[in-house]
Amino acid sequence: MKKLFNDPATMVDDMLDGFVSACPHVRRGELDPRIVVRQRNRKDPDASVTLLIGNGSGHEPIAMGFVGQGVLDANVVGDVFAAPSADLILDGIREVNGAAGTILLISRHSGDVINGRAATMLAEEEGMQVVPLLMYDDISAAPPERRAERRGAPGTMFIYKILGAAAEAGWPLERLTQLGEDVRERTVTLAAAVSPGISPLTGQPMFSLPDDEIYLGMGVHGEPGMGRVKTGPVRNLVEEMIRRLLDDRPVAAGGRAAVIVNGMGGTTMMELLTVWAETVAALASRKVRAVAPMIGSFVTTQETGGFSISLFEPDDEMLEFWCAPSDTPAFPKIELTDECPA
Amino acid sequence: MSAEWFFRALHEAASSRMQELNALDAAVGDGDHGSTLVRGLTRAATAADGRRAKAFMRASGGASGTLFGLVLHEIERHLDDGDDLAKGLERACARICDLGEVRPGDKSLVDSLAPAAGALADGKSFAEAVSAAEAGRDATRDMRAKCGRARHVEGGGVGHLDPGAVSLVMMLETLAREPVS
Repeated sequence: MKKLFNDPATMVDDMLDGFVSACPHVRRGELDPRIVVRQRNRKDPDASVTLLIGNGSGHEPIAMGFVGQGVLDANVVGDVFAAPSADLILDGIREVNGAAGTILLISRHSGDVINGRAATMLAEEEGMQVVPLLMYDDISAAPPERRAERRGAPGTMFIYKILGAAAEAGWPLERLTQLGEDVRERTVTLAAAVSPGISPLTGQPMFSLPDDEIYLGMGVHGEPGMGRVKTGPVRNLVEEMIRRLLDDRPVAAGGRAAVIVNGMGGTTMMELLTVWAETVAALASRKVRAVAPMIGSFVTTQETGGFSISLFEPDDEMLEFWCAPSDTPAFPKIELTDECPA
Repeated sequence: MSAEWFFRALHEAASSRMQELNALDAAVGDGDHGSTLVRGLTRAATAADGRRAKAFMRASGGASGTLFGLVLHEIERHLDDGDDLAKGLERACARICDLGEVRPGDKSLVDSLAPAAGALADGKSFAEAVSAAEAGRDATRDMRAKCGRARHVEGGGVGHLDPGAVSLVMMLETLAREPVS
């Protein structure tokens, strides 16, 4: 399969060269070039809590694209689909940590959890105040009573943005951590995959699927989920996904849900906008208002075809942070899209 | 005394046993345990003082690089700064159990590490701690794996030593050869 790379050994660093030189929001870390650090309008880390995450690459624009004012202070970039090592994450914490403390966001995948928590332990040994915040939202990975075993999926972007805005507003570490956990408990995500992406490591498709089937609940690396369904009008698929999401975490009639429609890399904006329109309709039929959507391809797996829907039931303050202005290379402006905000 | 001699000696030991460790791992996992250890130790042996265990984590990679790195981190602190080894190995063992979601009896490096840390905590000599680790290692042969790739192997790897338990003993045996200064 054709891919536009120079050399597998340098593909991540070549991408980072392009990213950093294109985006004045960010610079390379002083401790390691695999760290992307906020450059424009930097926080005073002794006065404001700093936020960072480490993740494998191959999923861009997340998370390097969210480094900047109002979201993340740093991103530690691992190899393709591989968590960065604990000592590299530790260097990332050193880059941004100050007296106000740091939250290390961890999307719940095995390598990320082990390396991220180990980095936190080593940072505490060195006297830094760091809280690891596990993020998980994929309802296909475990039932509601075992939600803490779920994987991180695109609904984690609610936490990035809301904590980023609240940190910018000066919230202290303990209150921010509580806010992150509250947002996590209110968020559910379900994905539908249509066609495989090609691994830059192997050049091979990451899974196989017959032409007339869609896979419900696939993880961001092609991990198994709920199983296959037949293709048909997208209306039926979205209706099924909304039913499962609301069964898992109900939103009362008269309530509202903020929505992320995330493309996996090979699905068009034309399709994603259709999914959003069907999401609005499926929620409306249950008397739930869809508000403040984020629509586009933000958490990708190369050219994988498919999308996920994330629902998040915010309180007023959370919704305000979700819609707060930000200045990063890739986080979009979130519009409220609700004529009568609560 | 700096930890340099230890990392150099361990690199030499792991290099000479790389095929053996890979073969042990091939029976229960993906067959690269010796190679990943050597890759990490090659960097650790030449890293700056105080950065050796961290260099190991970076170069070795993956979750196993982190978990073994936590043991090497404590040994490095003991040799560089004189930190108490018994407390260090106990802390590493607790962290590995927590992060790796593993317990004694699950067929892992913890089956060597926990008896050694326990012996030192009971005031026994380092030689006795190494013997305890060796007994723990040998006991993994009859264990059914409850963690890692080995749990997916037919029979849970019963009849095979756990490669992590073997290499953990190698680390302690290397440490026992501390040169007289």
